[in-house]
Amino acid sequence: MSWLCRLDRVVGRIIAGAQWLALPLIILLFLQWPLRDIFRSYSREANDLGQIIFALFVAVSVTAATRAGTHLTADAIAQYYSRRVRVRIRKIGALIGLAPWALFILLASKSVVVSSLQVREAFPDTGNPGYFIIKLALWIMAITILAQSLLEIMRRAPRDSA
Amino acid sequence: MEWTGMALLLLVGVGIIGTGLPAAVVLVAVALFGAALGWATATVPIGLLWALPGRLINILDNDLLQALPLYVTMGLLLNRLVADALYRACSAILPRSRSAPLVSGMVLGALLGPMNGSVGASVLGLSRVISPRLNAEGVTPAIRDAVVAVASTLGVLVPPSLVLILLSDTMLSAHTPAVTQTGRADRVINTQDIFHAALLPAGIFLVLCVILAWIVGRKATRTVKPEPLTVSQGLVAATALVALVLLLGGVAAGYFYAVEAAAMGAFTLLASGLLTRRLNYTVLRDVFHDAIAITGALFSLLVAATTFTLVLRILGTDRLVNNLVGAIPGHDVLAVAGVLAVIGACAFVLDAFEIIFVIVPIVIPPLLIRVADARWVSVLVLLTLQASFLLPPFGYALMMVRGTAQNPAPLRLMLRALAPFLAAQWLLLMIVMFEPSLVHFGQGEGEIGRAPAKDLSNEEINRRLKEMVPPPSMPDSN
Repeated sequence: MSWLCRLDRVVGRIIAGAQWLALPLIILLFLQWPLRDIFRSYSREANDLGQIIFALFVAVSVTAATRAGTHLTADAIAQYYSRRVRVRIRKIGALIGLAPWALFILLASKSVVVSSLQVREAFPDTGNPGYFIIKLALWIMAITILAQSLLEIMRRAPRDSA
Repeated sequence: MEWTGMALLLLVGVGIIGTGLPAAVVLVAVALFGAALGWATATVPIGLLWALPGRLINILDNDLLQALPLYVTMGLLLNRLVADALYRACSAILPRSRSAPLVSGMVLGALLGPMNGSVGASVLGLSRVISPRLNAEGVTPAIRDAVVAVASTLGVLVPPSLVLILLSDTMLSAHTPAVTQTGRADRVINTQDIFHAALLPAGIFLVLCVILAWIVGRKATRTVKPEPLTVSQGLVAATALVALVLLLGGVAAGYFYAVEAAAMGAFTLLASGLLTRRLNYTVLRDVFHDAIAITGALFSLLVAATTFTLVLRILGTDRLVNNLVGAIPGHDVLAVAGVLAVIGACAFVLDAFEIIFVIVPIVIPPLLIRVADARWVSVLVLLTLQASFLLPPFGYALMMVRGTAQNPAPLRLMLRALAPFLAAQWLLLMIVMFEPSLVHFGQGEGEIGRAPAKDLSNEEINRRLKEMVPPPSMPDSN
């Protein structure tokens, strides 16, 4: 198995796992209301934990959208391009857009993320632990986007059938 | 370099249409190109781009944005679990008339549209549920496509929709500096304000659409036999309707936050689906797969737009737009109309979310310096977005419907079918434009936007515009 296949499989598995985060996200954010108004406790804890899960879910979701082809596009003209041309345009998009952007984010956020990790930063308002995971989610987002961009760039273009 | 930003905006439009690439990819690529240009010419402080990670962390840390995946999941569950039952129930409840199918389609659009994620998603969802049935009723393709297109845009205006939530967040960001800079004693608007402001215009438009569907439907269908409604479908429809109304009422009344309402809706649907065994592992996996993919489409756009607007700000384009908006002569209505025309033109190529994330943050802040009534501006933006999606020949909803229909109607016939709905939409836009009290329905006099303590001169407004939303500061380098 080539490293591209392995990378493809790893990214696929990350998304397949992350999609289930929707379940605890729904439950935790639903619980906020009864915890706050009825039990009058643990509402902020539920909110903070929900925030962490939300950040992780969103971080992976961008690449999930790329793989599922759900991004918003306007292909009034591009629908007339051949498949080969469209694949090439996608490669160029990944090469000059997504990949350099992801690299820049990894570089520019290094100090922010690393320092947050080192001190295991807590939520500023509540003092609950785990805020550093939200910052780490930015790296997860950038790394998955970078991996998917590599897959797009390296994937062999199909033969022109149209 | 201010005009470079305008050229980049144009490049984004050309890139989106010409390449067929996702708008997010085009935005990021053009933003990087603009940043590289600024760096190469050494004319702008390009180091400010290092503030981008902080802005992106703010997105991941945003309470309101948590509502997005929840509403998306709720929309998916609604489509899978109750859309069919709602349509059948609506047809069964309505008096036996030839108009019932069209009216049912319109009502379904109003109920599901707000949760569907985008106009595009609404078109796909409603086409699946409504179109085959309208075909079976003998409705012509022109009327069928017109009704699906109009119903798909209802979600733009009816709260608590994703469009409303995101526009609220953007309007809050735009209104805050405007209030600070002008010295007005206004309270900065929030999600609840915009929900309230949109309620009456949305209600009026919905009633107009139902009346028009009723009138059009009298001659459009050939059968009057409603589809059979089983007891379980009736129960599902009734429960869903009650839940949706409670949800909407709770949010509008301020009893729930938008995020909590979305969580409650999603949790209720999830629990009921599991209890009735209509949701099993496979279905749930598919729903969550779609949920993360649609959520990703929205957030990638938000992330890309954040990058792009930061580059525009670094290039000084926001100040240029400020000056241009400030220079529109005449009454406030003219300034509002000018900005709305720009938004309307953008809607030919961009979906609601793209406009909210990219265009609104650029053109609305300077408008709110001139115009105090942020609720009025917000609702006008919503109405313009909705109207633009149906504007022939390139309106986004029109193109989507024609693109997804198996036998699309000729454009000329479709436009004829669409004409009464368009007339109603533009009439409502004009009414709200010249009668701002419609968006202050039920609001105390003291809450309506107040003028500054003293009138500001043009020079003073321009000076404050220049100070407004200063460029991001450099993060610590260590």
